[in-house]
Amino acid sequence: MTTTRELTVGAGAGAQQLGADMVLNIGPQHPSTHGVLRLRLVLDGERVISAEPIVGYMHRGAEKLFEVRDYRQILVLTNRHDWLSAFSNELGAAMAVERLMGIEVPERAVWLRTALAEINRMLNHLMFLGSYPLEIGAITPVFYAFRERETLQAVMEEISGGRMHYMFNQVGGVKAEAPAGWTSRARDALGLVEKRLPDLDRLIRKNDIFLARTVGVGVLTAAQAAAYGASGPVARASGLDFDLRRDEPYLAYGSLDVPVVTRTAGDCHARFEVLLDQVYVSLDLARQCLDRLDTIKGPVNVRLPKVVKAPEGHTYAWTENPLGINGYYLVSRGDKTPWRMKLRTASYSNVQCLSTLLPGCLVPDLIAILGSMFFVVGDIDK
Amino acid sequence: MSGVPGVGLGKGLAVTLKTLVSRSTTQQYPDVEPELPPRSRGVIALREENCTVCMLCSRECPDWCIYIDSHKEEVVVPGAARPRQRNVLDRFDIDFSLCMYCGICIEVCPFDALFWSPEFEYAEYDIRDLIHDKDRLGTWMETVPPPPSHDPNGEPSKEETNAAKKASAS
Repeated sequence: MTTTRELTVGAGAGAQQLGADMVLNIGPQHPSTHGVLRLRLVLDGERVISAEPIVGYMHRGAEKLFEVRDYRQILVLTNRHDWLSAFSNELGAAMAVERLMGIEVPERAVWLRTALAEINRMLNHLMFLGSYPLEIGAITPVFYAFRERETLQAVMEEISGGRMHYMFNQVGGVKAEAPAGWTSRARDALGLVEKRLPDLDRLIRKNDIFLARTVGVGVLTAAQAAAYGASGPVARASGLDFDLRRDEPYLAYGSLDVPVVTRTAGDCHARFEVLLDQVYVSLDLARQCLDRLDTIKGPVNVRLPKVVKAPEGHTYAWTENPLGINGYYLVSRGDKTPWRMKLRTASYSNVQCLSTLLPGCLVPDLIAILGSMFFVVGDIDK
Repeated sequence: MSGVPGVGLGKGLAVTLKTLVSRSTTQQYPDVEPELPPRSRGVIALREENCTVCMLCSRECPDWCIYIDSHKEEVVVPGAARPRQRNVLDRFDIDFSLCMYCGICIEVCPFDALFWSPEFEYAEYDIRDLIHDKDRLGTWMETVPPPPSHDPNGEPSKEETNAAKKASAS
């Protein structure tokens, strides 16, 4: 009947509760998490024993907000969950609505969208190509990355009027025709970036200190990547050869030859290299799209009814966003607003890998691994 | 990885050296105004005369940051049987602390009363001062640039087609 309980009194009391291991919270406010991601680490000295990413500090209830916004207003919100790939985000949502309504997007709009999506991809990648070295101590590359970003951003700004939240997609096409001479100016910008990108490449790719910090650190196997549902550059660096642009083409990717950049090492350096090489690929794709655009005449959007209503039904549209697979599951009951729009974001799945990647590594490596997962906190928390 | 240690560093330093002797691209912002494309979404300008108080902008705004008040006035039109009713705008405020710069209000305006202007220097020390009334919005009208002409491969702009229509009608 009686249960015995052992109790230590005096010196050493509470040692069990305190433990020999230290529990350390990284974030939610920490410069290396670029956002409000919180990591709960159990440390044994400098070594991480277990890590748990705690998400949700930036939860804005985007999915709930979608339910009380009509299909034009939704794009404002889809724009913002991953603020570095705003164009690709609006694209996914617009494609879901178009599919449900059975709208066929004019050919010129399709090619224009593809060109802009690729420019957006470069903008996103260049951001990480600058910020990742910065996180592990290399200050210079960010200036080179942002120089290229500025050049490309001018192209996006001229056509859409926005530098970050473009708001250029609409259901049935894009908002406006490109200004006269835009394609040639865009091509000039791409040429300039192509000419100057090797600077960034030479500066950091084979930098000895950078290699020492990243090679062999945070190795993610293909099986692990697949198990966590990782996608995009993070998964491709582990050898998971999957790219929706090639495997399930949307927009004009079907008629383009999309080379998929992969690595097999799965470490931080491989992830960085995939990102860098994808910029070269995107430069090439964007140029092809612009060339095609110059040969296609016609409208860039369709005339919509005054009130846009998606018929009853559901659809799932997914796109290869810069950070990985981005999906919109849209359920409509025939109203002006969606009944439900579920978001599948790349960063959310990619960040989950951290709980297997981090245990066993040292605290300084944690920063290197964290940065190499290339996430946007808004994209995790939605 | 690389054969000789330090080669990567050397290459990087060569880039730095190259940049050191190339022209700087610093923009002297407060002294030199930046050149912004005409489509830039800086601030929303209001042409008060064109507004008919239809409330479309206020209703379509995704975060409802446009506040409109109005009253009705009777206008006696000579020759008409009954006096006409006309909406008069009393208040047209946009709260720029809420505005998401999506441009939906401008897009839905059926009477061309709202325009984007690339003007951006309207920061305030207090968030409450970011609500701008119709007079302030009106002052931005003169900064609205003419829209750029469209790519010849695409459809001409709405302004161009309207002008062509008017020209052929007269």
